[in-house]
Amino acid sequence: MSADGTSDAAAELARCREEIERIDDEIVRLLARRVALGKRTAALKRAAGLPILDPTREAAVIRRITAAARDAGIAPEPIREVFWQIVGMSRHAQEESAP
Amino acid sequence: MIIITRPNVTDAEIDHIRERIEAAGMRTHLSRGVQRTIIGCIGDEALLAELPLRSLPGVESVTPVLKPYKLASREFAADRTVVRVGGREATAAFGGTAITVAAGPCSVEGRDMLERTAKAVLAAGGTVLRGGAFKPRTSPYAFQGLGREALALLAEVRASTGLPVVTEVMDTRHVDLIAEHADMLQVGARNMQNFSLLAELGRVRRPVLLKRGISATVKELLMAAEYIMSNGNSEVVLCERGIRTYETATRNTLDVAAIPVLKRETHLPVIVDPSHAGGDAALVAPLSCAAIAAGADGLIVEVHPDPERALSDGDQSLTPEAFAAMMRQLEGFAVAAGRSLSSASARAAA
Repeated sequence: MSADGTSDAAAELARCREEIERIDDEIVRLLARRVALGKRTAALKRAAGLPILDPTREAAVIRRITAAARDAGIAPEPIREVFWQIVGMSRHAQEESAP
Repeated sequence: MIIITRPNVTDAEIDHIRERIEAAGMRTHLSRGVQRTIIGCIGDEALLAELPLRSLPGVESVTPVLKPYKLASREFAADRTVVRVGGREATAAFGGTAITVAAGPCSVEGRDMLERTAKAVLAAGGTVLRGGAFKPRTSPYAFQGLGREALALLAEVRASTGLPVVTEVMDTRHVDLIAEHADMLQVGARNMQNFSLLAELGRVRRPVLLKRGISATVKELLMAAEYIMSNGNSEVVLCERGIRTYETATRNTLDVAAIPVLKRETHLPVIVDPSHAGGDAALVAPLSCAAIAAGADGLIVEVHPDPERALSDGDQSLTPEAFAAMMRQLEGFAVAAGRSLSSASARAAA
């Protein structure tokens, strides 16, 4: 490969990494919004006298995301693991939010 | 509890079964094999008592797993697990048809000795380089390993030889550091029940070589693997390395029977460390032959360019020449056991 070809590849790699960082920032912003919504639902659940932990709802969230991952052409199992973490994070935030 | 699905089960049916189990407060683990797909249930099985699992679409049978280990149990996986070690440039696999041999010095003592050993390991057919950086020594006054410096040397030699690297992690504080430099993290016999270390290893994306403790039962070894797996890392290779008995003629007693017992109980690969088991270089080859005959998926062997001057475990280290001779001898044993000896040269030709 020519010297130019190598520098083109390096520039493209740098561009890809920048794009990945933008996506990561976006994911973090979306997760913050998700946690905030979780806290809002926690307040509504408390007002309605419902428990914070709702395994049926969590299972439905995971099932929905499994199908979405499959439709998007990515392996569903790692996505399920990621979303169990996200669901858990949201649940902790709900449990810790002031009543 | 495991659910075996019908051969023609659809993704939607599997999703539905898992949703019902997860809505009851349990977690599920999916294992897709060539012949069948298994949904493993993890958690308090009493939660499932009310569920009509057998009548859900796609379910063929429901079987309780009575063993205390679930993810590690043979029943939970449709096929045996193959654990791949290394990246694109340096790869090896434990648990396939081929027997994989990891070899190298007990401790990394310097660049020259590590390079010489690695080249000898590669030439003789070894496909993984072992080398201690942080050493658990019985005496606090004994050589403790070169630490970070050794990790850097291992990474250099990995790059120059293409051999993936396995090294021991003793401290939860070192897990990320070692995962950056090595392809596989080893839990030594003394740490087999260090549960905080095992849990931490569940969170890294590196395969783990888990050695049996010197007074641990097979069940305790499998429970230790379960700790790593239940924390999210299913890439575990088990290693029988001898247990403490009343016998003093050998350093430890290699529990050969543990190999077929483990292969019956778990889908995880099982390898043998003949160096620590016997504690004597002269015993390494015969114990390796026995391990292969009993069904081991691989070996981890200590090789040192100058065992007499080794800073640790000189008595049980093979010279490069003795290692090469043993590898030639093992070839026939592997074939007799219906296996082959994996080697980097064969891999390159493939």
